[in-house]
Amino acid sequence: MNWGWISDNRDMIIMLARQHVYLALVPVAVGLLVALPLGYLAARWRRFYPPLLAVSGILYSIPSLAMFVALPGLLGTKILDPLNIVVALSIYTVALLARTVVDGLASVPEHVLQAATAMGFGRIRRLIKVELPIAVPVVVAGLRVAAVANISLVSVGAVIGVGGLGQLFTSGFQLDFLTPIYVGVGLLVLLALVVDTLLVLGQRLLTPWVRAGRAR
Amino acid sequence: MIEFESVTKRYSDGTAAVDNLDLIAPDGKITVLVGPSGCGKTTSLRMINRMIEPTAGRILVDGNDVSKVNLVKLRLGIGYVIQQAGLFPHRTVLDNIATVPDLLGWDRKRSRAVAAELLERVGLPANFAGRYPVQLSGGQQQRVGVARALAADPPLLLMDEPFSAVDPIVRASLQDEFLRLQGDLGKTIVFVTHDIDEAIKLGDYVAILRAGGRLAQLAPPQELLAEPADDFVADFVGRDRGIRGLSFLSSSGLPIDAEPVVAAGSPLAAARDGAGAGAGAGAGAGPLVLVVDEAGRPLGWLDGEVAGNGAGTVPADGLHRLGGTVSPDGSMRRALDLALTSPAGRAVLVDGEGVVTGSVTHEAIARHLTEQLRAGRTNDLSRSPR
Repeated sequence: MNWGWISDNRDMIIMLARQHVYLALVPVAVGLLVALPLGYLAARWRRFYPPLLAVSGILYSIPSLAMFVALPGLLGTKILDPLNIVVALSIYTVALLARTVVDGLASVPEHVLQAATAMGFGRIRRLIKVELPIAVPVVVAGLRVAAVANISLVSVGAVIGVGGLGQLFTSGFQLDFLTPIYVGVGLLVLLALVVDTLLVLGQRLLTPWVRAGRAR
Repeated sequence: MIEFESVTKRYSDGTAAVDNLDLIAPDGKITVLVGPSGCGKTTSLRMINRMIEPTAGRILVDGNDVSKVNLVKLRLGIGYVIQQAGLFPHRTVLDNIATVPDLLGWDRKRSRAVAAELLERVGLPANFAGRYPVQLSGGQQQRVGVARALAADPPLLLMDEPFSAVDPIVRASLQDEFLRLQGDLGKTIVFVTHDIDEAIKLGDYVAILRAGGRLAQLAPPQELLAEPADDFVADFVGRDRGIRGLSFLSSSGLPIDAEPVVAAGSPLAAARDGAGAGAGAGAGAGPLVLVVDEAGRPLGWLDGEVAGNGAGTVPADGLHRLGGTVSPDGSMRRALDLALTSPAGRAVLVDGEGVVTGSVTHEAIARHLTEQLRAGRTNDLSRSPR
């Protein structure tokens, strides 16, 4: 471990870490925004669910490197454009979360929906005030998987030159020098832990009722 | 008032859930829909607030055809209670109760004040306000469900097997409190159950539906017991119709025998005299004497022979079980049941304060009933509050 290298390259490491956070988490947000309406449609009209499941399964099975390389051709972007990574990871996130949103909405008990309708909730109001809040624990569970998966997948982008902390791996290998690789792995794990913890804390704030149930 | 006019609900495969139903649920009364599964009782209930739309016929609420009323407005004006309470798991008890006021746009202060008042009214402590439904028992959730339905003070209440998912003891107390609440509120209630005993206990009117959604009989419960319209109703009402019918007769006309009592703590000698005086009605367990507390409320039966062997004072415990008492508004059924199960062979009658007024034996009750029947007066007797 070469500590001098770390202090010499502090600015670059911080820059890479920031890029990594950006590349990993923007797709989580985009993915959630796209997955919510898709999941709602599939939860409401059950016949959309099997095709949704099939398409997300296929999308998720495409290797990330292949996706990174193929997207510029489809989007008309440059091969080194970070947008490729954002779009690719957004697709993975949607594939993962659409199913989660369906499961989350399905976790709302039928008698609760009945009661809400009978008391005079319209469809949209019921979705926002009743169904989505109750779906939060299931959706957050999916978000945690998506966020951590994205943090790991961003590193693959380093192979095509855009990869946040992943670039520490490529340069480490090229120089046959282990310190950047150690730093990269350490920061990746730390980043994943921090993001996961924030998501858990966020969920606790949003759903005090879940903990009330466990404390019983 | 809710009126069903030739209401039919037919599904696309041609089966009728409800077939040409005519029904009136009068203002301020509990109308119970009861019947075997598949009789369309829940379907009928849900057509009132248009959770289900009828295929034919109309339903009028206070003269207005519900199909012509704005859907959300209609539902906001009808309280709704269902089997598992259907509380919102993510909202506190107080927020749950305030649901409809919130939808109506009341200001928060007012809606929470009303909710807190209702919480108390359904018999839950104020510190439940901040709890979540998952922290409540089934019975407590159901109370919150009732409070939630009442929050905006709707004139109409629809209740779909609200007490079916709780154990029998909790169910009985929920039913009693529901009747007490209804006594204060006088809502127009349509209540669905599959339990004929619940229907008879709660209903001012009971509509028995048969499979295929046809009305078999609509009548006050005592009439259902006394004069079932056909074999189906008689079968559905079940055994012991005669005995159960006594629930609707007041015990107030019964001839009361004087019952000598001794106060706990008085000398045993007094009890020996009392046992002698009351011995005539003793039912095998030896002469028993009724022990009361200092206010004259009954505690239990003291064995006269035990009293005869000892010196000292009359004990307040270790007595034969009293089993219960008949209050002034108690039913004939309760009097008869207590007379039959009392170790002394007589039911103890008390006044409004619980003070002993006398006793009655089952022979005396039988004689009284025979006379009433002979005079054809049983239907004229004032109806007890069950």
